Amino acid sequence: MDLFLQQVVSGISIGAIYSLLAVGYALVYSVYNFTNWAFDAFMAFGAFMAFYAISSFFLPFWVAAIISILLAIGMAVSTEKLAYRSLRLRKAPRLFMMISAMGANLAIVNLLNLFFGGQFRRFPVENIGTFSMGQVSVGRMDVLAGIISFGVLGLLWVFLYRTKPGLGIRASSIDILTASLMGINNDAVAFIIFAVTGVLSSVAGIFYGIKYAVYPTMGIVTIKAMIASIVGGLGSLPAAVVGSMLLGILETLVAGYISSTYRDLFSFLFLVIILLFFPNGLMGKSSDEKL
Amino acid sequence: MGYLNAIIILGGINIIAALGVAIITGYTGLFTIGHAGFMALGGYACAILVTTFHVPFAIALIIGGLFAGLCSFIIGVPAFRSQLRGDYFAIATLGLSEAIRLILNTTYKVVGGAFGFMGMSNLTTVPVVVIAVILALFFAHMFVTSQYGKNCIAISQDEVAAQMMGVNLLRTKLIALFISAFYAGVAGGLMGFYMAYLSPSFFTITRSSDLLAAVVFGGIQSLIGPTITAFVLVAVPELLRVFSEWRLIVYGLLFVIIMLFRPQGLLGYVEMNFAFARRWWNAVFTPHQAKQGTIKGDQ
Repeated sequence: MDLFLQQVVSGISIGAIYSLLAVGYALVYSVYNFTNWAFDAFMAFGAFMAFYAISSFFLPFWVAAIISILLAIGMAVSTEKLAYRSLRLRKAPRLFMMISAMGANLAIVNLLNLFFGGQFRRFPVENIGTFSMGQVSVGRMDVLAGIISFGVLGLLWVFLYRTKPGLGIRASSIDILTASLMGINNDAVAFIIFAVTGVLSSVAGIFYGIKYAVYPTMGIVTIKAMIASIVGGLGSLPAAVVGSMLLGILETLVAGYISSTYRDLFSFLFLVIILLFFPNGLMGKSSDEKL
Repeated sequence: MGYLNAIIILGGINIIAALGVAIITGYTGLFTIGHAGFMALGGYACAILVTTFHVPFAIALIIGGLFAGLCSFIIGVPAFRSQLRGDYFAIATLGLSEAIRLILNTTYKVVGGAFGFMGMSNLTTVPVVVIAVILALFFAHMFVTSQYGKNCIAISQDEVAAQMMGVNLLRTKLIALFISAFYAGVAGGLMGFYMAYLSPSFFTITRSSDLLAAVVFGGIQSLIGPTITAFVLVAVPELLRVFSEWRLIVYGLLFVIIMLFRPQGLLGYVEMNFAFARRWWNAVFTPHQAKQGTIKGDQ
């Protein structure tokens, strides 16, 4: 029972990181109908920037985090400007958007690899230890990761549902053309969405880097976030969070009780099983193409 | 000479795998980044059949390809049945290929785990590869010009319209995926018997991106384009070794640039055809009278 609780606590903290990533995908997907493959590159970029801000410039953790977030916002917005904008204006097929995103991802990840080297680095932040609740010992960093992740998601919720720009984004996610006829600036919507993407990816990258390690291909973990957003249901932000928590907890249980090598295998099997029995995800509506 | 042989053999193997990706991505419009997984399945199946069960190489290649094709249904049936949009199919293929690599990496009993599978002789020679590439091109051409190929193109243009015209989406996509995985499996088998050993580290996401690059650069809805680029992409890095660190960065930037300025690829929508050969043949060998007759008959 203790092992079980221990794994659940650990699963919640990794699930929180997955939620940040899954929400980032869902946000872009809900407005532009394509998967932002460059997202994992933003995540690795954010983690690297924070890593070098601390290890080379000896900045405090919070300052480094803010610098990393700002740089990731810049990276995300400029990728949008360079790689997606003209395709979006031309109403190019989604396949082209995906290939372009894939290209941006390949280029950024391999640039990081070339400049910083492919080795695994320990994130230079002191271990703030654990505290115990009954028999379960909880890492303080895990708690911090959970709190900040949900804090960021909460802020995003407030932004989307309680402010005017948020209303504009929600309108664009229903129909971007009609929204622009109603006087919503499409370019501003794109700017805000990709800036939010930068924030989410950078926060997720920093906490993932602290939990495991910082390396150029660390973004491969975003495949878990995509699986989580399919499990939850496509294009919906709450469903992405639910799917992420579920996947995080289940895969940590598998790692604890069976073997950590089969953790990744399990998440893939989980996807196939969910698709077989819930073709639209657990909370999704019909995913038929809209005419 | 050995160096040239290496380029021809590796280029030919890359061509066969890229033709598989061309059928599913170029013609059916489904984005895949997991074909390295199918290559691994075909390669290991073929290697085990030849070394353990002493099956002839050619038959083992075909069985390996069929095995990869059947395994593609693991992901094809749930992904297509749930009408996942194209992006999510791509994630599913990536997940499958990573899962396959993980299983191969941790199973030490039959497939040798991370050490790799050894004991193959060097059966893949230049003539074998050349014959395989010609057959692969021939059958791919037959497929994409057949009714099934036309259904695939219809799906890539507009799924809803294709369905209204009576195209069975699930069946057509599964056929395209099966053939595409078959090609990747055969390429994997050829690779194992050229390298004389197989390791899970051959089949990483980098290889999948290389295959996708060949199709994107070569052109959508074209066989001859990916064939040329698949060969060039193998030959050029071999010739310019210094450049190898920058290879994937340049690929990535080229992906973006090609999508922005020439999204159909270098030879997009250019179909390979042998009409010129038939014209020349007729011009040279057909007697004048008979030729006129056939033209009238055609009209």
